[in-house]
Amino acid sequence: MSKVIECKNISKTFESVNGDFQVIGDISIEADQNEILVLFGPGQCGKTTLLKVIAGLEPATSGTIHINGKEKTKPGPECGLVYQTTALFPWLTTMGNVEYGPKVQGVPKKERRARAQKYIDLVGLTGFEKSYPIQLSGGMRQRVGIARVYCNEPEVMLMDEPFGHLDAQTRYLMQEELERIWQTEKRTIIFVTNNIEEALYLADRVLVMTNCPATIKKEFKIDLPRPRDYTDPEFLRLRQEITSIVDPAE
Amino acid sequence: MKKRKKINGVRVGIGAAAICSFLCLWAFATREGTTLGILMPGPVEVFTHLVETTYTKVGPLTIWGHMFNSLRRVLVGFTIASCCGILLGLAMGWNRTLEAIFRPIFELLRPIPPLAWISLAIVWFGLGEGGKYFIIFVSGFSNVTINVYTGAKSVDPELIGAAKMLGCSERRIFPSIVIRSSVPYIFTGLQIAISSSWAAVVAAEMVRSTNGIGWMITAGQSVGNMEQIMVGIIVIGVIGFLLSTFMRGVESKLCAWSRVQDS
Repeated sequence: MSKVIECKNISKTFESVNGDFQVIGDISIEADQNEILVLFGPGQCGKTTLLKVIAGLEPATSGTIHINGKEKTKPGPECGLVYQTTALFPWLTTMGNVEYGPKVQGVPKKERRARAQKYIDLVGLTGFEKSYPIQLSGGMRQRVGIARVYCNEPEVMLMDEPFGHLDAQTRYLMQEELERIWQTEKRTIIFVTNNIEEALYLADRVLVMTNCPATIKKEFKIDLPRPRDYTDPEFLRLRQEITSIVDPAE
Repeated sequence: MKKRKKINGVRVGIGAAAICSFLCLWAFATREGTTLGILMPGPVEVFTHLVETTYTKVGPLTIWGHMFNSLRRVLVGFTIASCCGILLGLAMGWNRTLEAIFRPIFELLRPIPPLAWISLAIVWFGLGEGGKYFIIFVSGFSNVTINVYTGAKSVDPELIGAAKMLGCSERRIFPSIVIRSSVPYIFTGLQIAISSSWAAVVAAEMVRSTNGIGWMITAGQSVGNMEQIMVGIIVIGVIGFLLSTFMRGVESKLCAWSRVQDS
C-alpha cells in the first residue's frame, strides 16, 4: 500500500542569539490512506512544531516531506490543519469559514455552498450556518474548524491538540464526535495530543515521542475495535504501558 | 429581552433628568441680578435665539445654511483624510519598507495640533475653501492612520497561516485577511476622526470665513453677541453627538462579528 504522507529525517533547530535550540531531532513518519496516526508526547516536546513543519508553516532544518509522492515545501491546500486555538476567521460566519477554502480556490458558489452545507451537517452544526465564531461555544468552534478542513478536501488532515482548550466533558464528546465524523468520511489524520485516553480512543497507531529534541521512542499499533471503550481491560493495559514509558514533562 | 429594554428606558430617563438639572442650574446661575447673568444669557434666551436663527439670517445665512457649509467642509476634509489614512495605515502595517519610510515622518507630524497649521494652510491653500479643508484633513488624518496601522500590524499570524493552508494565494492574503481583520480598527479611527474633524471646524473657519458654525462663533465674539456664540456652541455639540452616534451605528452593523451580540 502506498503511503499518503512520508516524512524523512525531519529535524528542526531554532537559531537564536543564545545559541541554537534543537526542537526536533531526526524524525521519520509515514501514514497510510485513511489512517489515524497519533503523535503522543509530554507537553512542550516539539509535537506542535513537528506538525507545523509538516504543514509547511515552518521550514525544516533538514529532511523531506512528500504527500502522495509530491514534495511539500510551503503551506497549501493538500494539507489541512485543525488548530488548538481554532484560528477561525472571526469576521466570517460558520458558512463563510467552511466555504473559505473552496472559495479562494475558485470553486463556483453553488457547488461550494452545497459542499460546505454537507460538512456543516456532518459535524452537527445544522442551523448555525449564519452564526459568527464569537457566538459559538468552544466545542462548536472546533466543529467549524473540523468542517472547514474537511470541506477543503485535503490529502492529509493535521490536528494540533484540537480539544486541548475544551473542558473535560466537552473533550470526551468531541472525541466521540470526531470518531463518528471519521467513520462517516474517512481521511488520513495526523493527530497531536498529550492526553493518553484521547490517543488510544482515536489512534490506529500511536507514536510516543521523547522530550525535546523530539524523537520517536516507540510505536504502538492499536487494534482495538471501534468505537473504543475507555474501560476495556486491553485499553487500560495499553494506557498503563504507554504512560509508563513516556518521559515526564519538562 | 424585555428586561434589557426596561434598563435602557431607565438609562435614557436618568440621562434626560441629568440634562434637565444642568439646564436648571444654568438658569439659576444666570438669573437676574447675578454677575454671571450679566455676562452670559440663560438657557431660555439661548433657546429662543436658536429658534429665531432657523428662520432669520445670522449674517448671510440662517442656521441651516451655516450648518450645511460646516458639514460640507468637514465631510470633504474627513473623506480625504479617511482615504489617505486608510491607505497609508494599511501600507505601513503590511509592508516593512513603507513602514520604514513613512513611520518616522508620520510620528514627527502626528503631535502637531491642527491649529498650528493655520498659518501654513493659508500660505499653501489661500483664504478660500482649500485652507479649511486642509485644517480638517490634518485633524482627522493621523487618527485614522494610526488606528489602521495598528490594525494591520496586529493581524493574527495564525489566521494568515490558516488562509494559506486553505489555498489562499500570497496576493490574496492582503484583501482577504489583512483588510478584513483591520475593519474594527478602521472604524475606531474613523469614529475618532469624525469627532475631531468636526471639533476642528471652528479652527478651520477662523481662516477667514463668511459662513459656517465656526464663523457664527467668531462673528459673535467680535460683536459681543453672547447668544449667538452659545447657539454656535450648542449646535456644534449636538451635531458632533449625532455624527458619532451615526458612525457607531454603521460600525455595529459592519463589525457585528467582533463583539458578543444579544440574540
